[in-house]
Amino acid sequence: MRKDRLERLPLRPRRSSRETKIQAIDIIICIILVTYALLILFPFWSAFVISISSEEAYLQNNLLLWPTDLDLSSYKKVFTNDALWGGFGITMILLIGGTLYQLFFTVITGYALSRKNWTGKNLVMNMILVTMFFGGGMVPYYYLIRDLGMMNTIWVMIIPGAIDTFNMLLMRNYFASLPAEMEESAKIDGANDIVVFVKIFLPLSLPMLATIGLFFAVGNWNSWYNAMLFIPDKKELWPLQMVLKNLISKVSSNIENPDAREGYSEGLTMASIFFTIVPMMCFYPFLQRFFVKGIVVGAIKG
Amino acid sequence: MELVTIAKRNNPFKKLKAKMWRSKYLMLMILPAIVFYIIFNYIPMYGVLMAFKNFKPKLGIWGSPWNGVDNFIRVFEEPKFWDAFRNTLIIGSIKVIIGFLGAVLVALLLNELRMRRTKKTIQTIVTFPHFLSWVVVSGFVFSLFSYYGAINSLTNFMGGGRTNYLTDKYFFFGLIFASDIWKEAGWGSIIYLATMAGIPQDQYEAADIDGATRLQKIWHITLPGIKATAILLLIMSVGGVLSAGFDQILNLGNKLVRDDIAIIDTYIYYHAIVGSDSAGVGTAIGLFKSVIGFTLVIVTDRIAKACGERGII
Repeated sequence: MRKDRLERLPLRPRRSSRETKIQAIDIIICIILVTYALLILFPFWSAFVISISSEEAYLQNNLLLWPTDLDLSSYKKVFTNDALWGGFGITMILLIGGTLYQLFFTVITGYALSRKNWTGKNLVMNMILVTMFFGGGMVPYYYLIRDLGMMNTIWVMIIPGAIDTFNMLLMRNYFASLPAEMEESAKIDGANDIVVFVKIFLPLSLPMLATIGLFFAVGNWNSWYNAMLFIPDKKELWPLQMVLKNLISKVSSNIENPDAREGYSEGLTMASIFFTIVPMMCFYPFLQRFFVKGIVVGAIKG
Repeated sequence: MELVTIAKRNNPFKKLKAKMWRSKYLMLMILPAIVFYIIFNYIPMYGVLMAFKNFKPKLGIWGSPWNGVDNFIRVFEEPKFWDAFRNTLIIGSIKVIIGFLGAVLVALLLNELRMRRTKKTIQTIVTFPHFLSWVVVSGFVFSLFSYYGAINSLTNFMGGGRTNYLTDKYFFFGLIFASDIWKEAGWGSIIYLATMAGIPQDQYEAADIDGATRLQKIWHITLPGIKATAILLLIMSVGGVLSAGFDQILNLGNKLVRDDIAIIDTYIYYHAIVGSDSAGVGTAIGLFKSVIGFTLVIVTDRIAKACGERGII
């Protein structure tokens, strides 16, 4: 019996036939996944349809799956909206300044913690790890920010975020995985730690740097939490997402009475959503691999 | 004379000093981190004392009078807090389970899909929502479920009339889970896909020779192959059960359902930060939450280790 089966084995490995022949089950899997992808895309489409339609079409509910008329006035309003452009400016400051700032402190900390036993390293490491399990909570943090005088300033969205523990550990593990001999030979040639870091380790870790930098950039682009908590009174300092949040809560504030509406705020809101996500939609397909790499490396090593 | 030199050379303080001097640049690099962690993590931990005090901002944390466990008593006597607590446990644990199942299912389907091009496109589409903020997602929810939104247009078109979904608290519970799956399942699948790619190919070849069906291969090779990763990720997510998604609940909720879908974090925000509850009460709730969260992590870690898996602590 067994011998029989062995003799009937094809000479070429079976894998090749497995890869070429498409069975019914493959079609079913494909259909399920395409449906799933369409479900992901549908909210984008539905919001887009509202954003390019006129108010009449919206209220007459002809916006099933396709626009019945083309009305770009919502986008005109978005591009002439001072609050949105102001938010865009603040977000750009966070995106560039905040990301570089976070990258700098996170990377130098990760590097220092990746080097071999210097005095106090374990102490510092434990001090940092404890914060991953314990925190003071929202209220003490709120009073701390207030006492530091950062309420209603742009700094509250930048300064406290200097080091992200998870990304810092990612960076540390990456540095630790590079061969230590490079450091030793450079040290023999008289280089100090800063020179070794800048001239040897930094150039070798550019892909990892890009990954972490992108995560920071997305975080800054999507930042609204700090603004909501700590900048309630200064609307001119609100980042884009906070301006958008305000718009959305305005349109959804009259849900009890859907007909008590003022102007076509739904169209404006949906157009503003696209104002905030189109930049990301354009870049994401090209940057996807960096994000994927970051999470895979992080999970395997962490 | 000589003895003194030897003593000097062996002086442990001198050695330490020399060692520290050698690593002075590394210490310079770590200095900002120490400062940041002390200010932004350890000072708030000290601020936890507020939970046991009748906090007066003018007197400062230390100067405010102690009031024992009064803050805790006040919290525990508040039925709305227990509603929020119950919601947190329900929402948090269901999210962990469906998040895990969703991610594994998507990963399995993608892993079985043989059309390379389609696979890549689908992956790009389904991982993208992870990068949207909950602010944007709440806008999408409004576009779909509001009175004139897409779903109502559809039911109205088919003669079902319109429903005001966004005022219905039961609808919101479903919405919380559905939107979480919509946003995170694709992204969560990446890690499982990477693990599946690391399963040695010869196991599948051997199974082919034995005539295994695809389902058998999934059951006996792929799923055992991702078991370790899955358990690790599950333990890590247990710590977040009590967070249950502040961003999500805060953005999706509206003033009508706010109390019905409150979780501990939104309770603290609405009652102790923008509301009139005292800072001491807010801190007490936060402390209560982190103690329970920490216990949960330890317990799960022990259980995992008892079952012979790699823990996290």
